[in-house]
Amino acid sequence: MTSYSFFFSYIPFIVEGALWTICLVGGGLGLGFLIGVPAALSQVYGGRKLKCMVEFYLRFFREVPLLVQLFLFYWGLFPSIGLKLDPLRTSILVLGLRSGAYQSQIFRSAIESIEKGQLLAAMSIGMSRSQALLYVILPQAFRISIPGWANEYAVILKDSAICFSLGVMEILTRTRYVTIATGMALLPYLFAGILFILLTNFGTGILNMIYKKFRIPGLIGV
Amino acid sequence: MLKVEDLYKSYGNVNALNGVTFSLGKGETKVIVGPSGAGKSTLLKCINLLIKPDRGRIFLEGEEITNPSTNENKVRQKIGFVFQEFNLFNHLTVLGNVMIGLTKVKRIPKEEALEKAREVLNMVHIREDLWNRYPSQISGGEKQRVAIARALAMEPVLMLYDEPTSALDPQLADEVLQVIKELSRMGMTSLIVTHEMNFALEVADEILFMSDGRIVHTGSPTELLSSPKHDLAVRFLRLGGINGFLD
Repeated sequence: MTSYSFFFSYIPFIVEGALWTICLVGGGLGLGFLIGVPAALSQVYGGRKLKCMVEFYLRFFREVPLLVQLFLFYWGLFPSIGLKLDPLRTSILVLGLRSGAYQSQIFRSAIESIEKGQLLAAMSIGMSRSQALLYVILPQAFRISIPGWANEYAVILKDSAICFSLGVMEILTRTRYVTIATGMALLPYLFAGILFILLTNFGTGILNMIYKKFRIPGLIGV
Repeated sequence: MLKVEDLYKSYGNVNALNGVTFSLGKGETKVIVGPSGAGKSTLLKCINLLIKPDRGRIFLEGEEITNPSTNENKVRQKIGFVFQEFNLFNHLTVLGNVMIGLTKVKRIPKEEALEKAREVLNMVHIREDLWNRYPSQISGGEKQRVAIARALAMEPVLMLYDEPTSALDPQLADEVLQVIKELSRMGMTSLIVTHEMNFALEVADEILFMSDGRIVHTGSPTELLSSPKHDLAVRFLRLGGINGFLD
């Protein structure tokens, strides 16, 4: 068997890693969304104490490198509180917390870009503040956020490769195994790179389609 | 219908309202006129409870709405508010804008809400081919008439208009003023802040002149046209190109 065909036999093994990568990205983005929205609302409409707490969270997850956060949670924080999470779950949690910090800024700027009159108008027809946020502010903010969110997808997709450091069987971890097994570096890493490009374009393509469908005429994204 | 008693509101050192007192009977239309910074918009927002006054009381249909136990959202459903900048919800079509209060606030079935929306949109002369357009796809005058329809859909007992035509060119402003005039003639109790003196003289039962957070002069259009007694009234009549009274 030639070294090339030897490498090709490992392709399905690397491609399977894409499923783990998608799992990391999907989980991270989903969790980030659940954290990012309330964090953004707290920053715009919250009281001083809440704003301070959110600011602390944002600073930690935006200013500490991802690798440090992964090691801190997997080797430090979780064992110290008696929590035993596998590398995949830990990675999703950390990616989610990190993405939540970035997503909160996307949503915050979208919320702040909506004219104040929209909230007043909603309240003037008898909506409570929470109804106004739910039916008027957030539906607009989400639509405005889609381009920024597509960018966050691309970022978290690339960040997911760092989870190889915990041994999550995503694309890079598997590619590394293949390089060891085949003794080749160029082809496996090139293939992994192409896989990331395909995943990036696939995801951003879908998000662009969603943006075009739900875009508010006359309003642009952030 | 509406009674405002000794209303005060300040922003830091600036007194926006300085003891405003007036009343508005059912079916009456009163117009508030005054220079910028006189406190006109603040007064309207206080009446709609979008701004909390520092002092004073407001009664709507005999009930004190400035009472701390008042359900502000319920009060706002009874008072239609039309903003200077239209403030239509950008993500909703014309129909969506009119229906949202009915379906989400009053929680009435969609079919019923649609029926009501059709009724009020026809009332403000919005053509049916515009109903599925978004705010950015219609003219300023149409936007403001949709904003009026949105407020009317909630079946308010009182309509407040905060300079409804100041962001519009004269032709579009006229479309809006005609609608307000029609509603007023149909017996809708209205309080209008405007700089359009000709419109004020035509539609108002009484004109209130505000300056420095106070109502400094009141008069019916007839009284004002025959013998304006206050400097501010003379100034605004002149600015409106109404000089006949001086002859």
